[in-house]
Amino acid sequence: MYRSWTSHLWRYLLILIAVLIVAYPIVWMGTMAFKPFQEWTTVDGVHWIPEKGTVENFLFLFNGEVESLVVTLDRTIWKPLLASVVTASLGTFIAVVIGTLGSYAVSRFGVGMNLPLSVLQLRLFPPLAVMIPVMVMWAFIGAIDTWWGLSLIYAIVTLPFSFWLMKTFFDEVPVEIEEAALVEGCSRWRVFYRVTLPMVKAGLATTALFVFILNWSDYLLALLLTRKDWVTLPVYMSSLASAMGGQMYGMKAALGLIAAVPPVVFGIMIQKYLVRGLTFGALKQ
Amino acid sequence: MAQLEFNDVTKMYGDIVAVKDISLTISDNEFFCIFGPPSCGKTTLLRLLLGLVQQDTGSVLIGGKDVTEVGPQERDLAMVFQNLALFPHMTAYENLAFPLVERKVSKADIKARIGEVAETLHITPLLKKIPAHLSGGERQRVAIGRALVRDPAAFLMDEPIAALDARLREEMRVELKRLQRELNHTLVYVTHDQEEAMSIADRMAIMEDGRIRQVGTPDEIYNHPNGRYVAELIGSPPMNFIDGAFDGASKRFSAGDFEMSIGFEGVSASGAASIGVRPEDFRVTSGGGAEIEFDANVYEVEPLGGFTIVDCNIGEKVLKVQIPGQPTFELGQAIKLGFDSKRAHLFDGPSGDVLASAA
Repeated sequence: MYRSWTSHLWRYLLILIAVLIVAYPIVWMGTMAFKPFQEWTTVDGVHWIPEKGTVENFLFLFNGEVESLVVTLDRTIWKPLLASVVTASLGTFIAVVIGTLGSYAVSRFGVGMNLPLSVLQLRLFPPLAVMIPVMVMWAFIGAIDTWWGLSLIYAIVTLPFSFWLMKTFFDEVPVEIEEAALVEGCSRWRVFYRVTLPMVKAGLATTALFVFILNWSDYLLALLLTRKDWVTLPVYMSSLASAMGGQMYGMKAALGLIAAVPPVVFGIMIQKYLVRGLTFGALKQ
Repeated sequence: MAQLEFNDVTKMYGDIVAVKDISLTISDNEFFCIFGPPSCGKTTLLRLLLGLVQQDTGSVLIGGKDVTEVGPQERDLAMVFQNLALFPHMTAYENLAFPLVERKVSKADIKARIGEVAETLHITPLLKKIPAHLSGGERQRVAIGRALVRDPAAFLMDEPIAALDARLREEMRVELKRLQRELNHTLVYVTHDQEEAMSIADRMAIMEDGRIRQVGTPDEIYNHPNGRYVAELIGSPPMNFIDGAFDGASKRFSAGDFEMSIGFEGVSASGAASIGVRPEDFRVTSGGGAEIEFDANVYEVEPLGGFTIVDCNIGEKVLKVQIPGQPTFELGQAIKLGFDSKRAHLFDGPSGDVLASAA
């Protein structure tokens, strides 16, 4: 279809506005991370370029103290970083493995009757509504403030996503291809491993990334189920304030920047699959 | 290299009958076609053979052995699926290697075997490509190749060339026929294209609604259909039918104002019946020279090059007559049509069973 140059102009203008709205807080966070504490707050609007750029905010997070500040940090970033990496990854791993195997069974053999919907009901009410009983249960089994306790709740909460996402991907795989593999001598497990799984590779990557980001950015569950040892990055961020120094905006921005790294890196790594995964099923092959 | 056998096999999907009371023996090294309209149970027969579905009653035998308890992996059959079912994430080479890898054949042997098969099917230059980068005809060859790399008990093919365009289809079916003869293996071939079935089959089965109507060589099926259903299905243009009544005593057939004396031997019953005559068995005569003659008018002429199809009226009825060459007729022209009773079929009115068939 022929488009006039004005319609192109409007289109790009619209895209530009959308990008600006999305990018604004991210860029703001990026510059804030490199500002010394004198520049954290201003009275005359946003200053985009730090006047005296510094990496002290980062050093402070990792070392707990810097020369220019009188306050010190009683907890450095190391342990929360570890906690976030461990619990988000483990939770993702469990959710994706169970979700994949379960949805395959449901998609191919129609087993489980109401299982797919009952899995979905985990998402029907706000997590806060069940968190009190969960806290009691977790306390009972000694899972509060442990890496496995948090991983477990992450796996449970994100299982519906991985299950339903993977199910739509499995539904797209033609049965004949699996039957062909069966006839050619594969066992059921070999069919799954050699034929079906490679075919939903893109979907698997998308699902894993999606679930990981959910777990990585969780605040509520970690807040309620951890106390000190296994506090994750978002909870840790909220603790970055002191009676003397007030809100440590620079450190929070630095932490935000660090926390944004894994999802961005994974996203770029699997970008090829991601585009295919998100449009999977939209196109007939 | 095995005989395939169905013994009284019935398969239902819920309340829907897929196949019913099928008893069929497909001989060793035979090119056997299963022909029928869409969703008449053709594919179900193949799936029963493969073990992808389990029959409700009866038994399936491969090489004389009951395979009811045998899974699809161990039935030693090779299948070309209707949608080809190539593995999209593997190259053509990996697709061909798949059955051999699963059977733990050594790498060197796999390479040699694929080399041979690729040579036969002319796909050697395509082996490094993935299915998405192949054309329809190329994909189809790869799918056949995947079946050929092994030495199975029998090959099964479910309309493997239906998706190709007409020219390519004609080429492929000749190649398939030649290939089957070379391989000297049992091949069961499902199609809904009667021309395809007639041209390649050693023997064929005609199916309707999950039942087998007739089994025989293409010649038997064409010349001696055992019922009106088969007679209607096979042949293009289709057989002409004149519905009326036959009197077994006087050997007279009457259909309204149209009456003829026709000596079907051995038919003594009387009642509603139809006469069936193939378009090529009619002749346009100038009076005399045919056993049975009647007047007709030219309704429409379809010249097709090698032959011409003339649609003729007799009263309300339109008959299709196939004449060699390109004769000229005027529309509405009065002509005389003739045929020999030896080339006519008589079908029972209500049941459609054949009463007398062409010699």
